[in-house]
Amino acid sequence: MPDFEERELVERAKEDPDAFGALYDRYFPQIYRFAYSRVRDQSLAEDVTSEVFFKALRNIKRYTYSGHPFSSWLYQITLNAVADHYRGQHGEVELEEGASLPSGAPSVDDEVVRRDRSRRVWSAIDQLPRHQRAAMVLKFGEDKKIEEIAQIMGKSAGAVKLLLHRAVERLRRELPPEFEAGLT
Amino acid sequence: MSNDPELEELFQDPAHREVVDLLKLSRPAAPPLDPNFHNYLRTKLMTEARRTLQPQSARRGFPFSLGPKALAPAMAAVAAGFLVVLGIQIYLQNQSPSSAMVAVDLSHIQNKTNVATAEPIVIPFSGPVDKNAVADTVVIEPATSVTKQWVGQNLVIIPDHPLAPNTTYTVSLKASSAPKESRPNVQPTPAVAPSPVVVHFTTVRAPVPPVNPPSYRSRNVTYGQENRLADAGTVFNGGWTPTGQLIVTRPSGQPGPGSSPAAPATASGAAPKATTDIWLMSALGTPIRILVPGGNFPAAAPSGGVFAAWQVISGSQASLRIWDLQGNLQGTLATLDSMPDRAPVWIGSDRIAYVTQGRLVIVDSHGGSVNTRAIRMQRGSVAGSPLGTLLAVEATDGSSVIDLASGSRNPLPAGATGFAWSSKGDLGFLVPQASGSDLYIAAGGKNAQRIASSPSGQTWSDLNWAPDGASLLLASKPAGASSSASRLMLINVDGSGLTTFASEQEYSSPQWSSLGDLVLFTRQDEAGGRAFWTASTAPSESDAASKQALAEVDRFMQARLKGDRGAAQESLDASGLNAYQGGASSLLSPAGSKYERYYPVTVQLTGSNPNTFLVGVRIFVSRSGVQRSFFEEQLTLVLKDQRYLVDAVTSTPAVPLGHGPTVVSVEIVPADKGSQVRVRFDADLRPETVTTDTIQVRGVDGRPIITRITFDADSHLATLALSVRPGAYQLVVTTGVMDINGVTMADEYHASLVISR
Repeated sequence: MPDFEERELVERAKEDPDAFGALYDRYFPQIYRFAYSRVRDQSLAEDVTSEVFFKALRNIKRYTYSGHPFSSWLYQITLNAVADHYRGQHGEVELEEGASLPSGAPSVDDEVVRRDRSRRVWSAIDQLPRHQRAAMVLKFGEDKKIEEIAQIMGKSAGAVKLLLHRAVERLRRELPPEFEAGLT
Repeated sequence: MSNDPELEELFQDPAHREVVDLLKLSRPAAPPLDPNFHNYLRTKLMTEARRTLQPQSARRGFPFSLGPKALAPAMAAVAAGFLVVLGIQIYLQNQSPSSAMVAVDLSHIQNKTNVATAEPIVIPFSGPVDKNAVADTVVIEPATSVTKQWVGQNLVIIPDHPLAPNTTYTVSLKASSAPKESRPNVQPTPAVAPSPVVVHFTTVRAPVPPVNPPSYRSRNVTYGQENRLADAGTVFNGGWTPTGQLIVTRPSGQPGPGSSPAAPATASGAAPKATTDIWLMSALGTPIRILVPGGNFPAAAPSGGVFAAWQVISGSQASLRIWDLQGNLQGTLATLDSMPDRAPVWIGSDRIAYVTQGRLVIVDSHGGSVNTRAIRMQRGSVAGSPLGTLLAVEATDGSSVIDLASGSRNPLPAGATGFAWSSKGDLGFLVPQASGSDLYIAAGGKNAQRIASSPSGQTWSDLNWAPDGASLLLASKPAGASSSASRLMLINVDGSGLTTFASEQEYSSPQWSSLGDLVLFTRQDEAGGRAFWTASTAPSESDAASKQALAEVDRFMQARLKGDRGAAQESLDASGLNAYQGGASSLLSPAGSKYERYYPVTVQLTGSNPNTFLVGVRIFVSRSGVQRSFFEEQLTLVLKDQRYLVDAVTSTPAVPLGHGPTVVSVEIVPADKGSQVRVRFDADLRPETVTTDTIQVRGVDGRPIITRITFDADSHLATLALSVRPGAYQLVVTTGVMDINGVTMADEYHASLVISR
């Protein structure tokens, strides 16, 4: 959707329920996907997604265009909702070192090998520290620009680059050797 | 993700680049998603949005407005003239007055009209209930077999077959308390009292009232609204069932009702290589049920409610099997050493063709080999005629039409490919040329005639017939271009009227639904993948006579629904006025009742000089705001002074609603030999009660005509085949027809039939 069309739709959604419904239809898949990537639990992802859109509905009249896509605002709400969920809990463990990465025998079929690698590399991303994981999911899973990720996470672009760099370095160190062999 | 300058700049160390390259080639697996969650949350959000977002009576100068496309559904709903939707919330109090209340939010469904016939019914509860007890009490009228599931606190009721159109359904259930918690110091669990929850809703009107002949007219239809069925990569292939649902192949492990990651059973115990499953899906893209774990390339039979597909059984072996639309295995026809790369092909409804090791094999529905001459073929086109008598084959030694009875072979022009048979038995195919493509039609499979050629430099492919056999869709693209430049085109069967159906590029592989109201196609999405979409079709304006007659009927009926006698009488000629004043039927509803809604049951062209139509309308009568009965009128409309007026009327006695199955439509369809009378019911019926004794066509002398009857339980459709002279006949459905709950029709059903050829 072109930028101006999205802005028009968002403006309409401040007064028109159907326009808000159109926004919901457009952004539900990515917000649910992002929520699930953070909590790894279907029921929790549903709760978070529900909270995100209800918060968006309650606050949409206060939303003003800031040069970033509307989805950035929804991602921000998602991150906050996830943080609220874990606040006061000990459910999410920050792993700075030593988390073992999944391993397994390579399959015979190229496609299976590719899928297996994909699954395992994303499993490895799941083991990253919270902020690194968020940055990696937004960059490699949602194809966001660093500027937008920075806006979503409330950090500077430099900080996001640092998070991405540390995450990739960590994956490089910890992914099994057969990954590198298959990359060329 | 292709080249990303940000990543190029950020990661210049080769070791990091390798990891980044791997990540660019990877994508996280799609998360598990309850297919009902999206709609459930949307309903809640929209309820809240309507409460909190106050639309202004006049928009404050915002420079954009809703286009006609966005307003079309609302306009259609208004045009349908249905009931006003009542949004209500029923609160069921706990038996204990001090306990909390559990709400059942029915605002999304209660008294709703235009409800899709193949969508789940979701009843959300705000608190815990005894789920098994609640689900056991669900009763649906008209009788409908359903699957019940709980998704969180939502009771999801999935009809096993599409609901009947034009029908008001009542879903009732008795809620029971949740089991008591025995833990001390815990607040009592909120529970629902045994007050019955009753939901009423009315399904969507039938797409086009049936006119004889034909019932659906495809000429000059236009592209309506489009809808993405699923994201790219989540549906690999698929097609329509005769009842307007979709059978699709999805990657294994996709979420949906009844999904299971379990692999199919194997004969050897070795883990099968099953990476796809076959699903039944609604026309809106809602997964209904998994049909075949490990299945691929489904092909729905033209009738009978079954489909064939390939299923991985062990290692690389795959079996050709037949299932019904509940996923019940009907039989295994063949087993091959590897999974074929194309769907099997139905030849009529009792034989199937497939290609293996460069050879075409034909088997019957029990797996028995059908003796035909040896046909060598590789990737060529193959298609069976709808009656199963002819087979078009692109063999290695040339293309031809084979008569399966005699074995004779009728050669087609060199290079003929892309075969498609119409419902009338005409064969369409394409012949590639140096500068484009030629489109041929072989009426009845014989005497192929070139009817059109593509514009120079354009190639055609993906032929697909409209259900009335009057026009075709095809994909057109510049020679040598990728499918991203493909467009959908529409052309009449005589080669005239070539026009763009969908203006966008990237569209291909059209498939018209059997009712003609939707077209399934694929299009390239933003990320370069190919996704399945549907588009609705808007009927042409050319069918002026029947449209004009139906418009007059609608004007007449709307006046009667409003109680406007003067306006209603304007639609009557002198003879028609006499008929109503003489008591043939009641123009306005009797005191204490209200004509609530109506719809045309059947429309028949009975004469052309002057134009005369016989239109059957069903009128629903309410008392105290509740629809309690219906009756039917047969209106004769005659063209007088360029306007159709009601010239005569007959009516049936009132039939109470909720007292057994009823007929919802009668359609007369020309067939190759004689005619078919298609009688559709609103309820799931006991098939053994649908016979030539209980459904009869009678002559003017009252004697039954000899007919053959078939019954498709999935679509509640009884089809009578008869061969009679043109003239007037009577359809009689007796009270011997029984629904699955053992309830018979309340009264005999009678309808006038006019066979016009």
